[in-house]
Amino acid sequence: MSLSQWVPLVVLFTLATLFALFSVTIAPYIGPRRYNKAKLEAYECGIEPTPTPPGGSRFPVKFYLTAMLFIIFDIEIVFLYPWAVAFDSLGMFGFVEMLLFIVTVFVAYTYVWRRGGLDWD
Amino acid sequence: MSLLAQGALLAADNTVPTGEAVTFWILAPIALGGAIGMVLARNAVHSALLLVCTMLSLGVFYVLQAGPFIGMVQIIVYTGAIMMLFLFVIMLVGRHTRDSLIEVLRGQRLAAVILGVGFAMLLGTGLARGVGSVTAKGLDEANANGNVEGIAKLLFTKYIFAFEVTSALLITAAIGAMLLAHIEKKPGEKLDQKVLSRNRFTKGNYPGPKSGPGVFATSDSVATPAILPDGTFTERSVSKVVPARELTLTEARPKATNGNKQDGEIR
Amino acid sequence: MNDIQLPAIDYAALLPMLIVFGAACVGILVEAFAPRGWRFVIQVSLTIGGLVAGLVAIIVNRDLEITTIGGAVTVDGPGLFLQGAIIILGIVSLGLIAERRLERGGPFVAEAAHAANSDGDKRQEREPGATEVFPLTLFAIAGMMLFCVSGDLLTMFVALEVFSLPLYLLCGLARRRRLISQEAALKYFLLGAFASAFFLYGVALLYGYAGTVSLTGIREGVLQSEQSGILLAAGLALLAIGLLFKAAAVPFHVWTPDVYQGAPTPVTALMAACTKAAAFGGLLRVFNVAFETTAWDWQPVLATVAILTMVVGSILAVAQTDIKRLLAYSSVANAGYLLVGVVSLNGAVGSSLFYLIAYGFSVLGAFAMVTLVRDSEGEATHLSRWAGLGKGSPLFSALFTFLMLGFAGIPLTSGFTSKFALFSSAWDSDQSVLVIVGVLSSVVLAFPYLKVVVLLWLNPPGEETPTVSVPSMLTRAVIFAGVAVTFVLGVAPSFLLDIVADAGPFLAK
Repeated sequence: MSLSQWVPLVVLFTLATLFALFSVTIAPYIGPRRYNKAKLEAYECGIEPTPTPPGGSRFPVKFYLTAMLFIIFDIEIVFLYPWAVAFDSLGMFGFVEMLLFIVTVFVAYTYVWRRGGLDWD
Repeated sequence: MSLLAQGALLAADNTVPTGEAVTFWILAPIALGGAIGMVLARNAVHSALLLVCTMLSLGVFYVLQAGPFIGMVQIIVYTGAIMMLFLFVIMLVGRHTRDSLIEVLRGQRLAAVILGVGFAMLLGTGLARGVGSVTAKGLDEANANGNVEGIAKLLFTKYIFAFEVTSALLITAAIGAMLLAHIEKKPGEKLDQKVLSRNRFTKGNYPGPKSGPGVFATSDSVATPAILPDGTFTERSVSKVVPARELTLTEARPKATNGNKQDGEIR
Repeated sequence: MNDIQLPAIDYAALLPMLIVFGAACVGILVEAFAPRGWRFVIQVSLTIGGLVAGLVAIIVNRDLEITTIGGAVTVDGPGLFLQGAIIILGIVSLGLIAERRLERGGPFVAEAAHAANSDGDKRQEREPGATEVFPLTLFAIAGMMLFCVSGDLLTMFVALEVFSLPLYLLCGLARRRRLISQEAALKYFLLGAFASAFFLYGVALLYGYAGTVSLTGIREGVLQSEQSGILLAAGLALLAIGLLFKAAAVPFHVWTPDVYQGAPTPVTALMAACTKAAAFGGLLRVFNVAFETTAWDWQPVLATVAILTMVVGSILAVAQTDIKRLLAYSSVANAGYLLVGVVSLNGAVGSSLFYLIAYGFSVLGAFAMVTLVRDSEGEATHLSRWAGLGKGSPLFSALFTFLMLGFAGIPLTSGFTSKFALFSSAWDSDQSVLVIVGVLSSVVLAFPYLKVVVLLWLNPPGEETPTVSVPSMLTRAVIFAGVAVTFVLGVAPSFLLDIVADAGPFLAK
C-alpha cells in the first residue's frame, strides 16, 4: 500500500481545518450585530435553560426520550455501515432494500416529529 | 484489499504480530482496571464512565481480532448510545439514590448467588469440554472479501427479511419511548419561540441570568433562595423542580457572616 | 467483485406478513397525521382491514409449501395454519381492545407518561385512550406470524423480539390500577429480556455445533457434525428456555400470574390466545424440524417440564382468589398439555394445532366476560366479589359457566374434544405416562373452575356485589365467538380436525 492512497484523506483534513479557521475568523467581521437584553444571558441560544436542581439531583424525563431516539437512529446507522462498505457489490437490490428500511424507520421519525417529541418545551 | 483484511491474514497463522501484542498489553490493563473500578466506584457516574473505558478497549480488541464491524458497533452503539442512556438514567433516578438492601424474599440473594455460580460453572465446564480442543475454522472463508463485506453479504441476502423486520422493532421502540416519556401538549398549550421570547421581555420579568440558589445565601439547602445585591430574597433562584419546603425559622434565618454579626436579623 | 446475488424471494408466501406489517406502519402514519378525533375510527377499520386482508392472503396460500429467501422463511401447512389461527384470534381480541362502552375512553390510558395518581393523571381520567395500541397490536401479530414460519433461528429471534416488545408496552397501558399495570410491564420486560438472552446464547452454541443457524441445517448437522455433543445439548437447553418462557412452562412461568393480572384485560386475552399459539408454533417447529433426529436426548427432559407444568399449574390454580390469576395458572397448566403435544413430535402436531384454536377461543371468551364485571373502581376480579352473580345476571353466569365447563373438559365442549384429540395422539406416540399425568391434572384443574361455578350460582351475594355491565357490540361479538366456537368444536370438531390433518407435518427439507 503506497502513501498516495492517503492523499484524499489528508486533503479532507486540511480542508476541514481551513474551513473551521475561516469561519471563526470571518464571523466577527461579516456577522450582523444587533444587541438586546437576551445577549446578557449566560448561554446565548434563545432557549431558557431547563430547570435542573443544582447539586446533582434528578433530571427531567425528557432527557430519556432524547436518549432513546438517539439510540434508535444510531442502530439505523449500524446497518448503513456494512451497506456502504459493500455498496459496489450489492447492486440495485441493495439500494432498494436500504431505501425500504430507511423509509420504514422514517415512519417512526414522522410520528415522533408530529407528536412533538422533538420539541424541548 | 484493506489493511484490516491483511491483519486477518496475518492473524491466521498462529504468530501474534508485534503491533497487536503491544496494543493488547497496553489496553488489557486499562480494560481490566476500568472493569474493577466500575464495580468498586462509589459514585454511579464514575462507574458508568469507567465502564465506557472498558468498552472502548474491548472495541479496539475486536478490531485487532479482525472484526472491524463488531468493533465499530461496540464503539458506536454500546459506548456511544447505550452508555449515554445509562448516564441519563442515572441522572433521571438521581445519582445519589442507593439500592435498597432489604431482602424482600428471605434467602433470595443467597439462592441467586448459589444458582448463578452453579449455572456459570456448569456452562463453563461444559463449554471447556466442548470447545477446548477445537481449532477454530471458517474465519478465513467468512472474512475472504473482508469482514464487513461478509456481513453485508449475509445481511442483505439471506437475512434480508430479518433485517427489514428490524425496522418494526425500531418503530416500536420509538413509539414506546414516546408513550412512556412524552406528554403531548394540548392545542394552544404549546408556545413557539417568538411568544416565549416576547413573554420573557414583558414588564416585570427579568430576562437576565438567574442567580443560582445559594448565591450569597447563608444555608446549604437548595431550597434556600439567593439574596440579591439589594439584600432581598429572590424566589426565582429556587428551582421549580425542587419540592417547596417550609423552612423553619432557624433554617431560613441568615447565619452570621463576617460583616454581619447581628444574629437572626435579616438585613 | 460484483458477486452478491439476492436469493429467490417468493412474495406470495410473504404477503400475509407484509400486509400486516404494512398496515401497522400505515397505522403509525395515521397516528402522526390524522386529527385526534378521527384516529380511533381510522385505526379500528385499518387494523381490522389489515388483519382480514392478511387472512385472505393466507387462505389463498393454503396449499403453498415453500422455503424462500434462502431458507429464512419456511411456509408450510402447519405454519400457514398457525398464521391463520393467530390472525383470527387477533381479530377477535381486537373486539376487546377497541371496546369503549364499558369504560369511558376504553381500557387503555390516554397518556401513559403522566405519573400514576398525579394531577395530570387525574385530569386525563375521562379522555379517550391512546390509539397507538392498534399499530402496536398489529406489530405484535405480524411478529408472531413470522415467528411461526421462521426457517432459521436468527429470523426467529428477530420475530420473537418484534412480537415481544409491543406486548411489553401494551401491558403497561392500563387505564385503571396503573401502578400494578406498570409493574406487570416491567416484570414481563425484564424477565423477557433475560429469556431472549438465553435464546440468543443457545443460538450461538448451536451455530458452533452445526455451523449454521437454519433449522434444516441443524437437523443435518446433528448427523454429520464433528463437534462435541455438549454444544448441541447446551445450545438446545438454552434455546428451549427462551421458548418455554414465552409458552409459560414451569419453571419459567413465574411472570404469568403477575403479568396476566396487571395487564389490561384485553391485552391479557391477546397474550393468552395469540402469544400461546405463536410460542407453541415456534416450539413445535424447532423440535420437529431441527431436533427430531435427537429426540431421544431431549424427550425425557421436556417430558419432565411438561409434567411439572401440568401439575404445578393445576395445583396452584386451586389456591387462587383472583379470576385473572386463576386463568393465568390455568393457562400454565394448558401449556403443560400442549407440551405433551410437543414431546409427541409429528404424531401430535395436528391435535396441538386444534388445541391452540380451541383453547384460544375459550380463553378469549372468558377474559371478555371478566371485563364485564365491574364496580366504580373498574373491573372487580377478586373471586369473593363474584359470589351470587347468578341471581342478578343469569345470562352472564350461564355463559361463564359454560366456558368454565369447557376449560374443565366436560363433553360437548371444545375443552373435551381438544384434550381428547391431544391425549389420544400422544398415547399413540407412546407417551402414556404423560397422558396419565395429563388426565389426572385436568381432574385437579376442574376443581377451581367448578369452584367459580358454585360461587356464581350457589353462594349468597356479598354486600357489594359488582354489576355486570352491558358492553358494546364488539365485546358481545367476542363473547359470542368464544362461546360459539367452544360449543361447535365440542359438538362437531371434525371439520377443523380435517383441516389440521390436511396441514400435514412441518416442512423439513
